[in-house]
Amino acid sequence: MSTYLGQMCAIVWKDLLLEARTRERLVSMGSFAVLAAILFNYSIDKTVVQPQDVAAGLIWMTIIFGGLLGVGRTFHLESEDGGLQGVLLSPAPKNAVFLGKTLSNFVLLYAVSFLVVAVFMLFFGMDLGSSPAMLALALALGALGFVALGTLFAAMSSGTRMGETLLPILLFPLLLPMIVFGAGATGRLLAGRPVTEVIGNIRMLAAFAIMAVAAGAVLFRFVVED
Amino acid sequence: MTEKGMRKTGTALAVLGLLGILLVYSLSFFWVATDRLQGVSQRIFYIHVPAAWTCFLAFGIAALLSGIYLWLRDDRLDRGAVCAAEGGMVFGAIMLATGPLWGAIAWNTYWNWEPRLVLTLLLWFIFLGYFMVRASTEDPEKGKRFAAVIAIVGALHIPLIHMSVIWFRDVPQFLHPQPVVAKPEGPTLDGDMLTVLLTSLGAFTMLFLGLFLLRYALETVRTEVEARTRETTA
Repeated sequence: MSTYLGQMCAIVWKDLLLEARTRERLVSMGSFAVLAAILFNYSIDKTVVQPQDVAAGLIWMTIIFGGLLGVGRTFHLESEDGGLQGVLLSPAPKNAVFLGKTLSNFVLLYAVSFLVVAVFMLFFGMDLGSSPAMLALALALGALGFVALGTLFAAMSSGTRMGETLLPILLFPLLLPMIVFGAGATGRLLAGRPVTEVIGNIRMLAAFAIMAVAAGAVLFRFVVED
Repeated sequence: MTEKGMRKTGTALAVLGLLGILLVYSLSFFWVATDRLQGVSQRIFYIHVPAAWTCFLAFGIAALLSGIYLWLRDDRLDRGAVCAAEGGMVFGAIMLATGPLWGAIAWNTYWNWEPRLVLTLLLWFIFLGYFMVRASTEDPEKGKRFAAVIAIVGALHIPLIHMSVIWFRDVPQFLHPQPVVAKPEGPTLDGDMLTVLLTSLGAFTMLFLGLFLLRYALETVRTEVEARTRETTA
């Protein structure tokens, strides 16, 4: 068990170290989030609708599109010079590789989702609503489910001619639970509704995350086997 | 079944299915009574419901065979899954085209966010991804595995997607009609209408099975051609 965790952590550490040195994905995802929020501001006619009313949905859509940028590149660096082959030939079981990759993607996307929320708060003069902790939990579960599915499909799409263009087609149909329960919970929390109103959403988000991680951990080996 | 036998049975079933559909058309236009509430637009029901049933049957078969393919790695299973999934796409397109036509008259809108509508549309797109991945993978073995994984992940998520669209109470003005045949207390459909519907169900299922067998035979031949080409080039 401890070797398994060690192998998983080695992957996480490797990915995060690479990211800390290149800062490629974090910078692209982060600037995407800020720029998208600026464009959103001008896409809303304030005589018709207030930005605060649609902020929850926009936050989640920004996280999804920004996440797509980062997740699509998961295996990009490693596909050069047979790096992925090296990782897969290591004694680490395939699902440890998957969980490691998912976890490092999660750290990145979770950081970006905080940035997205902060940017929206700043630009649209909003506060964190009735329960910042609950909001953070909703974002965590949504991001976890997203990166689990995203990592699985990124491994797949990087093996095809179409590459990352394929990712949204594979991923979006399965993201419906994430957007329904995530944006639902966020909207209510931002509107200052009591926490009891979003418990159900949080539970469903947790189910979505667990399902995505489990499916990925079981099926990843079929995607990368050779 | 040999490839030749498959072709014969497939052709027979497909022709029978097509004739059956012609029969359904004539029955639904000239024989069965017009629905008292919905008027003539209700007749599209005899095409829409069997198409939907066939679509779900086909996608179900595709997901099931994909799962077993990952386990046993028998090429025949993968071929079966592709052929079934193709059938699902075709009948799904029929369902998704006839539904809005009916909705335009009965609901006065082509589309609403009723759970069943959203779920089937997403299912159709999941299988679109299934085909796009296969088509854009250079190594066919890899494409087969990728596609099978998509079918399984899709099948696993269907219940969750279903729950979320129900949860998201958009409260559409009109709901999708409830089942009138497959109910615990038995069908509540008028006798003649039930006859036409069941005829149509039979015809659609036969057509699907016929197309499935023909498609499967074609795929078998194609695999063989590919194998022989490789032999000659090597």
